[in-house]
Amino acid sequence: MNRLNTLRTLLLGGFLAVAAGLVAQIDRSKAPEPGPAPLIELGSYDLTKLDNGLTLIVVENHRLPLVSWNLTLDVDPIFEGRKAGYVDLAGSLMSTGTDSRTKAEIDESIDFIGARIGTSATGAYASSLSKHTDALLDVFADVILNPSYPQEELEKARKQALSGLQAGLTDPNSISSNLRAKVLFGGKHPYGEVETPESIEAIAREDLVNYHTTYFRPNVAYLVVVGDITMQAARAQVEERFGAWESAAIEDRYQPLPARPEGNQVCFADLPGAVQSVLQLTHVVDLKPGHPDAIAVSVMNSILGGGAFSGRLMQNLREDKAFTYGARSSMSTDPVAGRFTAYANVRNEVTDSAVVEFLYEIERMSTELVEAADLQTTLNYMTGSFARSLEQPETIARFALNTALYDLPEDYYATYLARLNAVTAEDVQRMAMTYLRPNNLYITVVGNRAEVASTLARFDSDGEITYYDAFGAEAKALDAAPEGMTAKTIIDLYYAARGGSEKLDGLKGIRMTGSMEPAPGMAFEVVRETLFGQGTRQTVTMAGNEMMAEVVKPNAGMTRSQGQQVPMTEAELADARQDLYAAYLLHLDELGLTATLEGIDGTKAAPEVVMTVEGAGGSKELRFDLMSGLLVSERATREGPMGSVPVTITYTDYQAVKGIQFPMVMEQTAGGQSISIHYNRIELDPKLDASAFELD
Amino acid sequence: MKTMRNHFLLSASTLAGLVAVQTASAQVDFAEFDLKNGLHVILHEDHSTPIVAVTVMYHVGSKNENPERTGMAHFFEHLLFEGSEHIARGEFDGYVEGAGGVLNANTTQDRTFYYELLPSNQLELGLWLESERMLHARVDGTGIETQREVVKEEKRQRYDNQPYGQMMPTTFDRAYSEHPYRWTPIGSLEHLNAASYEEFMDFYKTFYVPNNAVLSIAGDLDIKATKKLIKAYFEDIPAGTREIPRPTIEEPIRTEELRDTIFGKDALPMIVQAYPVPAQGTEDYYAVEMLNQVLSGGESSRLNRRVVDEEQLALFCGAFNFGLEDPGLTFAYAMASMGVEPGAVEAAMNEEVERMRVELISDLELQKLKNQMEAQLIRSQRSMASIAESLANYHVYFGDANLINTEIERYLAVTPEDIRKAAQAYYAPEKRVTLYFLQAPTAETTKQ
Repeated sequence: MNRLNTLRTLLLGGFLAVAAGLVAQIDRSKAPEPGPAPLIELGSYDLTKLDNGLTLIVVENHRLPLVSWNLTLDVDPIFEGRKAGYVDLAGSLMSTGTDSRTKAEIDESIDFIGARIGTSATGAYASSLSKHTDALLDVFADVILNPSYPQEELEKARKQALSGLQAGLTDPNSISSNLRAKVLFGGKHPYGEVETPESIEAIAREDLVNYHTTYFRPNVAYLVVVGDITMQAARAQVEERFGAWESAAIEDRYQPLPARPEGNQVCFADLPGAVQSVLQLTHVVDLKPGHPDAIAVSVMNSILGGGAFSGRLMQNLREDKAFTYGARSSMSTDPVAGRFTAYANVRNEVTDSAVVEFLYEIERMSTELVEAADLQTTLNYMTGSFARSLEQPETIARFALNTALYDLPEDYYATYLARLNAVTAEDVQRMAMTYLRPNNLYITVVGNRAEVASTLARFDSDGEITYYDAFGAEAKALDAAPEGMTAKTIIDLYYAARGGSEKLDGLKGIRMTGSMEPAPGMAFEVVRETLFGQGTRQTVTMAGNEMMAEVVKPNAGMTRSQGQQVPMTEAELADARQDLYAAYLLHLDELGLTATLEGIDGTKAAPEVVMTVEGAGGSKELRFDLMSGLLVSERATREGPMGSVPVTITYTDYQAVKGIQFPMVMEQTAGGQSISIHYNRIELDPKLDASAFELD
Repeated sequence: MKTMRNHFLLSASTLAGLVAVQTASAQVDFAEFDLKNGLHVILHEDHSTPIVAVTVMYHVGSKNENPERTGMAHFFEHLLFEGSEHIARGEFDGYVEGAGGVLNANTTQDRTFYYELLPSNQLELGLWLESERMLHARVDGTGIETQREVVKEEKRQRYDNQPYGQMMPTTFDRAYSEHPYRWTPIGSLEHLNAASYEEFMDFYKTFYVPNNAVLSIAGDLDIKATKKLIKAYFEDIPAGTREIPRPTIEEPIRTEELRDTIFGKDALPMIVQAYPVPAQGTEDYYAVEMLNQVLSGGESSRLNRRVVDEEQLALFCGAFNFGLEDPGLTFAYAMASMGVEPGAVEAAMNEEVERMRVELISDLELQKLKNQMEAQLIRSQRSMASIAESLANYHVYFGDANLINTEIERYLAVTPEDIRKAAQAYYAPEKRVTLYFLQAPTAETTKQ
């Protein structure tokens, strides 16, 4: 047995002792000085080990006639794979039947004495008034040692779990936690597992029995007893009830820390109709409990957003910008993988602005030294939290348990306040630089895809948002097209929606005049002139000076930029040649193109038909509005100086010109940048001279 | 009916195999007094931990609101963190947290409650902050506009973007037609948008006065010294001169069940029933509480055992009493399991309620109830914060803070006959509201 002395320590930091005189006159204009710093007592505990290896920790506290019993197993997390969920069920079903008690009997015995009980895969908990201790322990020991896992109870629990998953489909928080688990840890790590209807269906009774037999062993168990009981009485109870519990070897399993993403990644799960985005910025952290950096890291996190209203995230996103009801961050230490997460629920229209502020505040932790006063506020806040936590006797018990579980120095908690208050502004900055990764994190969003998603692509390092379903699996791309729908019917619908194939194909030429504003205050004029079948020319001018020109004829093309003229390659020309047609999709054969109908994207607010068109110039994806038939967007990958870049062009604001619909706005997005052309004038069959298409 | 005889000891002795022991108790001692301005003060001294809970309860909630300005009480709670004559905007939090404390507040239909949990040597800081808030809180346009948006986000987060988030507001709206309980504290965003600066000041001058407040402090304090400090900080605050509006409206008793279906996007059907019950603290109220405990207290309770465990109709099923200062509601609720018709769930719930109106509970069930109530009472004394709040509650609602020690007797005095009578009087089908929250047909299902 290892009896520790009562640990005493002083409240430190900002609570310098200044005797507060009890004067009748007070000065309202400033905050009163604190009184002398009180002595705080950590309290004491007893730790002892039974012959079978069970570790017993007892904390006596007789303020209230209550006793709690908390069993914790120190086992490495298990990867469940296709049976995700069985470990949790093995824990929760322990209290649904033992060799000698039915579930109804267990429930009745516990409720009769007004007690509480709970079992999980890594332990069990029970508490009652101290006078009911014997009755409580009869049941507590039985569910831990002799669970019978009745098949009937498994089937009940399975049905409940399936209903629960169904209910979770509209719960943004449960979707968010699935999404976070999956993106941080992937499909092969115990922390990345998410229960699905399939995995719940796959669980068998043997899985539960095997789990319990293997892992519920005294040599990995810690039993913490807190409350109105003497150490001797607790030991006698535990010896009697758990003395014969047999030990068994349990193997360790090493879990590597998963990699962080190369650049920031936006991960989006759609919740149609959502009025807020559940937003998290998160990455894994290698920070085990008791690590020498752990205290300084917790100070750093507390300044950023750890709980207090005066945290930077709260002050910025709530008190200054009013984007949210609350913005916070957490930094967890964990023997397998720690996590950093900054989070808030924000309204749809400010989701992108909130991401900007989050990234700003996370980065600022590394780039700026925290002000001395702000650091002191945080140290005082954390000192106070520590002192307040001691109100509950469970706290000292938790300290004892952690010290044993994580092999902490015996005086880890006794010296905690001293070490906390020794943290400097430089330490905080160093911790931020070491542990925060503002450029290697996941930005997970559960929200209204139609209203929010497009504003977030710019935060993704490759400009592409990845979409996920409610269980954190990558969203299936498309629904199958209904029977009878083909590429040809979609093309016909599209041109019909524009005013009819014949009308379009009968056009001789067109001039489209518009404007473009690549940067604020910079106005470009854009003119495209086309004589169908002969040539097309687009010029971009600023104040009459040519900035860019592109000319295409049936057998040659060139682009000119700032006087530099470059002929088109065969591939470029193959792609550009379609501009010589008013309705090129009616001439696929002539152009050497093939069109394939891919399916329906039902994740959009307005469902879209997706089609790919392929030829010598590469392939591109066309999306048509399912209802109107009009072209919504085109997407292709272009080779540029920076490698291949996805380019998306969206077409909006269709207006009729002499009975033919034209999109008046074209927005091109590439590499997180977007630029729009607004057409203000469209002339059909204008006077055009074929000499305009001569190549110089 | 409510004699204070200890029925518990008598019946326990008849139960074979059970240990009959005394009711566990932890007497809460306290001192209380009034300042000249009408502020009521309650002090509880406990030196176990060097902390102190400083709390102020104002007797104003959403039921005191103008029906055209619902949400005002809760919104005002947000504004009262903005500052005072001597505390600049945004400094309130910093003072408390910089002193190692935490602070928050919440608003119900009946009261608004502010608290600071501080190291005990910072007690005076708590008194200064709360007296500033009571004497001359200051809110400006920026504060009002910012908190308006924050409250909108709170509403979105807690109600609009939460599965079944409309359940409570909708049920209160259907269950009340006259009484201001028909709206819930979050209120209406349109009303808040329409409220002017003058209205806020008016609200402050009417309700945020010492004669409408209780200062309740628990923890590591010296009663004599604390009294002196309280006088120094609070005695000068002028008493309110306006009459404090309290609704006197009585909700008419329903004579025909109100049934409705509300469509949303959540997948599983939710069944909610609301039965009007007497105001908290009245004689019948304790029987109603015990009745709910029979229906819903623990895994072995009647609703859970039957509807969830035995018949597996629902993911969960229970009942709870929403005790209020004026006659409140008891809720019975269930979320139907996948593929189960809500009607089947409701039928089982109704049968269990009906049984309460016909049969008496057994002696064993009565003993169980009493054991549960006793444990519940002890657990409620685990923190100084909850002791301070309980003391304030008992004073505000019943004018008797000592109920923290004696209310248990009212529970223990309830008999099986009392419970059946309460079921007959208040759990009548024609008096209730029954709502189904169902998934709206989606575009997909309509297409098919």
